[in-house]
Amino acid sequence: MGPDAARPVVSGVCRSRSSRTRLAKVPPSYPVTATWRRRQGRLAALLLAPSLFGLTAFLLLPILIVIWLSLNHWDLLAPMRFVGLANWVDVLTDETFGNSMFRTVLFVASVIPLQTALGLFLAVLLSRGLPGSGLFRVIYVIPWICAPLALGVVWKWILAPYDGALNNLMGTSTEWLSSPELAMPAVAGVTIWSQVGYTTLFFLAGLSAIPAQVVEAAQLDGADAWQVFWRIKLPLLGPTMFFVLVTGVISAFQAFDQIYALTPNGGPQSTTDVIASRIYLEAFQGGFNLGRASAMALVLFAILVVITLLQQRFFARRVTYDLS
Amino acid sequence: MSGGLTYLVLIAGALLTLGPFVLSFMTAFKSPQQFASEPALNPPNPVTTVNFAKLFGGAYGFISPIAVTAQMVAVVLVGQLVFSIMAAYAFAKLTFRGRDGLFWLYLATLMIPQVVTVIPLYAMMSAAGLRNTFWALVLPFMFGSPYAVFLLREHFRSVPDDLIAAARIDGAGDWRILWQIVAPMSRGIIATLAIITVVSHWNNFMWPLIITTGRDWQVITVATANLQSQYNANWTLVMAATTVAMAPLLVIFAVFQRNIVNSISLTGFK
Repeated sequence: MGPDAARPVVSGVCRSRSSRTRLAKVPPSYPVTATWRRRQGRLAALLLAPSLFGLTAFLLLPILIVIWLSLNHWDLLAPMRFVGLANWVDVLTDETFGNSMFRTVLFVASVIPLQTALGLFLAVLLSRGLPGSGLFRVIYVIPWICAPLALGVVWKWILAPYDGALNNLMGTSTEWLSSPELAMPAVAGVTIWSQVGYTTLFFLAGLSAIPAQVVEAAQLDGADAWQVFWRIKLPLLGPTMFFVLVTGVISAFQAFDQIYALTPNGGPQSTTDVIASRIYLEAFQGGFNLGRASAMALVLFAILVVITLLQQRFFARRVTYDLS
Repeated sequence: MSGGLTYLVLIAGALLTLGPFVLSFMTAFKSPQQFASEPALNPPNPVTTVNFAKLFGGAYGFISPIAVTAQMVAVVLVGQLVFSIMAAYAFAKLTFRGRDGLFWLYLATLMIPQVVTVIPLYAMMSAAGLRNTFWALVLPFMFGSPYAVFLLREHFRSVPDDLIAAARIDGAGDWRILWQIVAPMSRGIIATLAIITVVSHWNNFMWPLIITTGRDWQVITVATANLQSQYNANWTLVMAATTVAMAPLLVIFAVFQRNIVNSISLTGFK
């Protein structure tokens, strides 16, 4: 029921009551008088004050500060020194940061397609509604509830060369995390492992929202299971797919915890030195160059804003299929 | 694909998902001697709590990180729920100038990632002399979250205006209407938000890592990371630490699994 539908009823109730009782005692739920409007404004200000303070002090103000920091040289010890765009020039021409951008894109490009495809595959299997599907659904989400840092530490042991579980099982001594060729696949693999179940849930919800008549109609027309999936279900999953891809890409661009646990200090030959890890190292570990780190953080922010805006452009062009 | 093959794939997925957990729990309950001499798949024999005793005993002092994390989560949870509920009510049920613009501002802040704010927050906390204090851990998060405000507003809007008008006629003020009518009617989403908040702050790593130093205000994730880097080869001890770090949330998950699983896809929480 929309607010507009409720309005006439409410005003009717209020008017009939107000003729019997005193007018001041019957404020309806929408503004009628200037006094009422003022009271609502005051109340709103009181209710919003704490969250507005938090938002301003800890989300908006930091954005201004990080912009200011990016224009300064600051090593936490000596006083800040204004350097103009020096940090920006530095960061944008710097090989280390270029490498981090490349590693991040590589990470996102390895994680997202596999995570999405596996999540969709499992969701399709679960959506058949076989007995026990509920239990599998719960099991698959377990990694996602745990701290990425703790999971990273667990996998660091599993992938350890001599006493790790994986090498132990296979009778090998592969240096998963210290070889430049294997570190990135290992880090991406652990991330995929922890995210697949979460992705599955969204596809499962999307699949269950597809009206049974649509699928039945296609089957009556002679479509087989394969055709039903590719021609009917997948296109109807558009909005879900979109949500999963966009939120997945945004969070993969910021990945830090599990990468920090698995391959500290940027990994072997900086092969897992993704942006978030570079920012941390630059600012707080060894680098102590907060100006440069701030410029890097703003580059990452700009990338994420562009992704979000592209998403809205895409949404405006309607990827959804209207079923009504 | 036949039913049998479907089950085979689903079971393989479940084994791959649970395997690392089972292996790490088993290792946590093994003696270092058994760990060094037997394959990883062997169950602990005998089951020993020696790693946990070491972990909680003098040298590693793992009690403190648990206490600090629990306090941090409690303060953030109460603050976020109360202040987000208040803001959501204002946006859903009150009429005031600039409401839509302000709500848009709340939504826009959802785009701001944590990795962008940690450096300026660090600068702010240093300037305020709050580095390495309890307040530095909770202040940035305890005044509500735009995401919670957004979700709650959607639900508060579905509370019928007639009901609120009726409560007004009966003499209830907005404060009472909020806490005795609107909030109880949105129990489900509030419970979901509570779980989201507990999970994400229990697991939070980057901000505590940056803003605290030493043992005093170390949270569980930071303590686990430090233990791992200091005692790299001592895997039975390290796996005891990861078990302790994950166990509380796994217990919460076991109790509320149906609600959590059902609400994730509704709220898209992360």
